[in-house]
Amino acid sequence: MTGDTTDDTDDPRPGGETSGSADGESTRGDGGTATVGDLPTTAPDEDHEHGLPPKSSIKRWLVTTNHKDVGILYIVTSLFFLIFGGVLAMLIRVQLLEPGGTILSDMAYNQAVTVHGLLMVFWFLSPFAFGFANYIVPLQLGADDLAFPRLNALSYWLYLVSGLLLAISFFQGNSFSGGWTMYAPLNVPVYTPSVGATTTVFALLLFTASVTVGSVNFLTTMHRMRAEGMTLRRMPLFTWSILLTVWMMLFAFAALLAALMILSADRVLGTMYFATESPGGSLLWTHLFWFFGHPEVYIVFFPALGAMAEIFQTFTGRRLVGRKWFIGAMLLVALQSFVVWMHHMFLTSINLQIKTLFMATTIGISLPFDLMVFALIYTMIKGRIRFSTPFLFAFGGLVLFILGGITGVFLGAVVLDYEFRGTYWVVAHFHYVMVGGVTGLVGGLYYWYPKITGKMYDEFLGKVHFGLYFVGFNLLYFPMFVAWETPRRVFDYPEAFVGWHQVATVGAFVLGVSFLVMFYNLYASLISGEDADACPWAYGSTAEWAVPSPPPLENFPGRPSYGGGALEFLDRGRTTTDGGETEAATDGGVKAGGHGHGHEEVSHASIWPFAIGIASLFVLVGLSGVRTGNVAYPATFVGGLILLLYTLVAMTRESFHGPSGPFGESWPFEGVENTKLGMWLFLGSDVVLFGAFIGSYVFTRVAYGWQAWHVVPHDPIPGLMNTYILLTSSFAVVLAMVAAQKGNRNGVVASLAVTLLLGIGFLGNKGIEWWELYHEGEWVATSIETSTFYLTTGLHAAHVIVGLIIAVYMLVRAWNGAYLDDDRPVEYFGLYWHFVDIVWLFLFPLFYIL
Amino acid sequence: MDTKLYTAIYVVLFVAATAQVLVEFAGLAYWTALAIIMVLSLGKAVLVAAYYQHLRYEPRSVTYVMVSGLLAALALTLAAAYSIT
Amino acid sequence: MTGEFAVVMQVGEFVPRGTRQAVFQQIYWVFLVLGTLVGVVVVGYMLYLAVAYRAGPDEADDDGRPKLGEIPQGGGKGRKLFLSFALSAVIVISLIVWTYGTLLFVEQPASAQEQEELEVEVTGRQFQWVFTYPNGHQTTGELRVPKDTRVRLGVTSADVFPNFGIPALRAKTDAIPGQTSDTWFMAEETGTYAAHCYELCGSGHSDMNADVVVMEEEEFQQWYENTSNGSENGNGNGNESA
Repeated sequence: MTGDTTDDTDDPRPGGETSGSADGESTRGDGGTATVGDLPTTAPDEDHEHGLPPKSSIKRWLVTTNHKDVGILYIVTSLFFLIFGGVLAMLIRVQLLEPGGTILSDMAYNQAVTVHGLLMVFWFLSPFAFGFANYIVPLQLGADDLAFPRLNALSYWLYLVSGLLLAISFFQGNSFSGGWTMYAPLNVPVYTPSVGATTTVFALLLFTASVTVGSVNFLTTMHRMRAEGMTLRRMPLFTWSILLTVWMMLFAFAALLAALMILSADRVLGTMYFATESPGGSLLWTHLFWFFGHPEVYIVFFPALGAMAEIFQTFTGRRLVGRKWFIGAMLLVALQSFVVWMHHMFLTSINLQIKTLFMATTIGISLPFDLMVFALIYTMIKGRIRFSTPFLFAFGGLVLFILGGITGVFLGAVVLDYEFRGTYWVVAHFHYVMVGGVTGLVGGLYYWYPKITGKMYDEFLGKVHFGLYFVGFNLLYFPMFVAWETPRRVFDYPEAFVGWHQVATVGAFVLGVSFLVMFYNLYASLISGEDADACPWAYGSTAEWAVPSPPPLENFPGRPSYGGGALEFLDRGRTTTDGGETEAATDGGVKAGGHGHGHEEVSHASIWPFAIGIASLFVLVGLSGVRTGNVAYPATFVGGLILLLYTLVAMTRESFHGPSGPFGESWPFEGVENTKLGMWLFLGSDVVLFGAFIGSYVFTRVAYGWQAWHVVPHDPIPGLMNTYILLTSSFAVVLAMVAAQKGNRNGVVASLAVTLLLGIGFLGNKGIEWWELYHEGEWVATSIETSTFYLTTGLHAAHVIVGLIIAVYMLVRAWNGAYLDDDRPVEYFGLYWHFVDIVWLFLFPLFYIL
Repeated sequence: MDTKLYTAIYVVLFVAATAQVLVEFAGLAYWTALAIIMVLSLGKAVLVAAYYQHLRYEPRSVTYVMVSGLLAALALTLAAAYSIT
Repeated sequence: MTGEFAVVMQVGEFVPRGTRQAVFQQIYWVFLVLGTLVGVVVVGYMLYLAVAYRAGPDEADDDGRPKLGEIPQGGGKGRKLFLSFALSAVIVISLIVWTYGTLLFVEQPASAQEQEELEVEVTGRQFQWVFTYPNGHQTTGELRVPKDTRVRLGVTSADVFPNFGIPALRAKTDAIPGQTSDTWFMAEETGTYAAHCYELCGSGHSDMNADVVVMEEEEFQQWYENTSNGSENGNGNGNESA
């Protein structure tokens, strides 16, 4: 991943130099501004696509890196997974028609329940929202594209491939059957031995990788690339909701990544973290999972809230009441979401003090939502409300969310939670909240459909959809409150509830049919709908409505600016993309080239994100079955790994020019150039990843008895040697950077070579140590102590290996004279390498001395 | 930046690492030794981050991002370990 | 914090106590009534606003309406917003605080020492429940308890992570390997109650049930004394307390 982060260094100048950006106004005095009113409203010709194949060509969708294309890909793919998850939901509802089940076996039912949950939460809800985020956020910010367009495409392909992996898992025995919460120790191979279950875990792992890449990309874009005058406080609400969502994603998904990596190790390497015998193993999983899982609730809900706020403003013709408090409330929720996770664990053996604490934080997090709900409601006052389909869905979504919120208060009372735990009350509650969110996003789909397609949907069918949807939804989920004593994920229930469950099943089909209406409407309108204006809605106010529907590839007719008090498009003035001819541009090896090439030089196509996705598929499918003894699996794994390395190097070497400055507003990261910020954000998530690994170790050791713990390496000296080696290698990277700054090629080459040798020495030393431990019978699966030792230091060693691969690449390039006029790649590599060093500074005492 | 400064920091880091192992062999009470060793680790980490990674010279917001990640991980670790009955 | 609650709790009647069924019923109904009330008021108000401010034919003044390309800004004043926010906060906080007293009681019902108690260890394994009595007697799939006696359950698991619950008696807790979670219940009527598993625990999850047989006290004593000498599979897991 880090290899990629360094490669998009196309920004020719650090943002710090550009913040003023007055030059755009000054260069062309000849009225180079356009106010929003006199914009062209027709879509541009297809031939104006900067070398991208036309939209009718399949190839376009494989190579595109443009945020709008990627947004469409996300939306379409997520809707596909909605159907997938929806069909599973139908199976569940049919099974529940009568107590004891109808059509599914035990295992089939468990898989249906599990994969339905996983699909809807991970593969539908978030990606659906991120389809809109991809499409709309850069427009609302006034950015030409995301900061790293190829990484954006990569996020998408990893997402798609992860979904394919999930589908593949059904064909490897069976898929995962332990619930979407994957509680331990049911999630280890002793209890769920199927290869498909491992593949499911990998699917989620890859999805997490996709999300991490995406959040780094979005955060860099949203913080660094806003139009002049578009300060954070002024950002539209949808964009605000996405900003907070991606911040939560950056940290929460890192914790999930840790949980999944440990689980993968338990499943493939035989570590014992979550085994029945592991002290605190089951609890460890619940902590890791819910530490991620509660922020995840807001991660899927916030975008819906943002979309609802936009729709409310447009269709009531009113600005949001208490806008800044609304934003403040969201911010508060985002922060608090990281300290409420144990309310999912009130019935575990956690102590009363901590229950009290988490009860208090849970009340705390519910209150800001009250404020947001009231803000939306009061926005209707004195409005000029039009009941178009988007508003119906936003309004309906708010009603459903209110009901979900009220029933959630029940769960906040610990005494009631004790009884509701594991019942349909919980199921009904979170469906009201989450599918309430979906309702808001469906509103968003209708709202932005004309913008994205340039066609108007059929209003009548839209209203039919809403009617069926709302009735179906309540028929489906409300009976679950009435029949709440049904145990969750069980298809045997008291006779008294038969009627209610049958009503719910009918509701499920009505809800399903309503989506058929939607698909028909959207499809037919695409073919024969009326052309949509740039702004088909009265009182649409945000920037996406100020550009044609669909917007041209380069988004804006000029440089967007809010400097004059409202959106205007200024003459681009001095253009900013670099020359682009030079091959060496890939690594940031090229300085700001020149002027005057205009927008044409911005790249929009790369096949490598797609290729990396395919390679990842092979790697993970291969890895899933390495323990089966079937040689096809390890062969696929090795082949995939080679392909992955090849495609990563190819993408790094490719000449690609993303959007470049100057950017208008970059608070609070002025002067931290895009790639550098991307690297730092990635490291921020890596802090949580390692933190969760170390936290798992500490937790397990405390559960075990801290001092009764057997420290695996009996001698700290090899560890101390490795500390010396890493410290020295960090120093060598610093020297490489200094040499690059001084233009001293030999210095750069020598320092990098020393770094490489020291890194190899580190790994060699570790290898010898592991070899000896192995011969003493202390191997990965020997005990919980060895499991934590090998896995945590192993993760660190993997980071070292990745660093060394990058070092080899850079050494070759340094030999050929790179970095002398631009030392930033060396500096950014250093950030990573020093981070790996810092991690070791903690692992060494924790695993060798204490 | 000054190579001398980098070198001086390197020396300090080297000494601190050695000191950690010496503390372990000094025969102090277990929890005292643990506290000293962890403080030394923290000190080294701060030095590397501040000077080798130039955090000192970046906008403070970058530091806040890293500290947030650290706090999140600490919250998880401490609350989870504390919850054990 | 606890000090405040202690005061509240001394108001005796105010904090629901008693059997778990009674406690749950009381709190649940208060929540349900208030929740419904709030829901009806809020949703009703929303509907009223939606109808009252629906767009009319008069498209006259667009003053103060959002304009395309404007800098996003807030509308209206926050006074009403904060009033309703404060109101909802008061409701939510007082509800939860009110139940906290009951939580303390449920967690620590020790004050009621008038009766003797029975302590049973419950072990979940795929896919059955094993009950171990103080004398070491073990049964599988059936728990016999006396009426009107507080039954304390120490629940754990021998393999995965199920959850033991007796819905009618409002007792429920997680069964976690290597951990013991406690819960208790008190049955006021004899009869057979169903116990279920409330956490997905594998293929047999749907059928992982047990019977809880509540007997008259003397009847139970009779049965229990017979078990001590001739238990089927009771080899005593060393449950010391009674």
